[in-house]
Amino acid sequence: MQTMKRKWWVVIAVVLLAVPLRAQGRALTVTGIRGVTFGAVLPGVPRVVLRTDPANSGQIDIRGPKGPVLLTFVLPVAMTGPGGALMPISFGAGDAGFSATQAIGSQVGFDPKQPFTATVPNNGRASVFVGATANPTTNQRAGAYTATLILTVTVL
Amino acid sequence: MRSITKLSLVVAALVLTGTTLQAQTNNASITATATVQTPINVVGAQQLSFGNVFPGVNKTVVAMDLANAGRFDISGQASTQVTLSFTLPATLGSGGNTMPIVSYAGVHAQNSTQTGGIGFPPSVGASPSLNASGQLWVWIGAQVQPATNQAAGVYTGSIVMTVVY
Repeated sequence: MQTMKRKWWVVIAVVLLAVPLRAQGRALTVTGIRGVTFGAVLPGVPRVVLRTDPANSGQIDIRGPKGPVLLTFVLPVAMTGPGGALMPISFGAGDAGFSATQAIGSQVGFDPKQPFTATVPNNGRASVFVGATANPTTNQRAGAYTATLILTVTVL
Repeated sequence: MRSITKLSLVVAALVLTGTTLQAQTNNASITATATVQTPINVVGAQQLSFGNVFPGVNKTVVAMDLANAGRFDISGQASTQVTLSFTLPATLGSGGNTMPIVSYAGVHAQNSTQTGGIGFPPSVGASPSLNASGQLWVWIGAQVQPATNQAAGVYTGSIVMTVVY
């Protein structure tokens, strides 16, 4: 009986040890900070927002354990406007950028259409910036258009 | 021995479970937004007409002259500011003869009757706003200065207005 008790104490000890080990890594949080803003767009005239544009590029902040993370975007192909009108939106191979310093001027570009592995620094903070191109047609219906970009971050 | 094996399995399972739980995933979304503007449309609605002009007698058409001032009608994005700029001829021509235009004046208004209209120098341009229906009217007046020996004939010139958001 005493042997059984001792065994279970060992089990409990392992559980208690396992929990603190997990707690050493920060919880992963991903926060949308700023959307991609094209502003006023004229029919037939493409509008480009660079990922380095401090006012109009999109920004998503990451907080979590230091080390490698996998960044995966779900990107729209069009923005939806009045009466369900669609306006194409496209993303170039360098339209996303990862910043380990959270500075828009210090990014490593990557293709938002492909999963990208980045490294969260020791302070557990990083940012992803994104640009895009709106491609209104010559007869694009006037009005406000929106679309949603989703970034999934997985700790590796 | 068996007990030790079982215990080892339990411990291994716990460690593996703990490891699996370390793989974290999270996501966030942002929006992309754009506002498509109504294209600007400009119509030369009325010619600037000096009518009969006599040699040596200056003739002025003021911008407030609804019948004779030149008029442009603009349509576009409601309540949006635009910039007006002009290419203004220095002379009117008739064959090989020319007649100087010595001054220009402009008025823009958010209605076709010039109520609340605002004067501006066309050579400088202006930055008015379209009204709530997306319309704006612009009138141009000018003064010609025929020479005392101005050759008779019909004299014409082109005024070009450019409108941008």
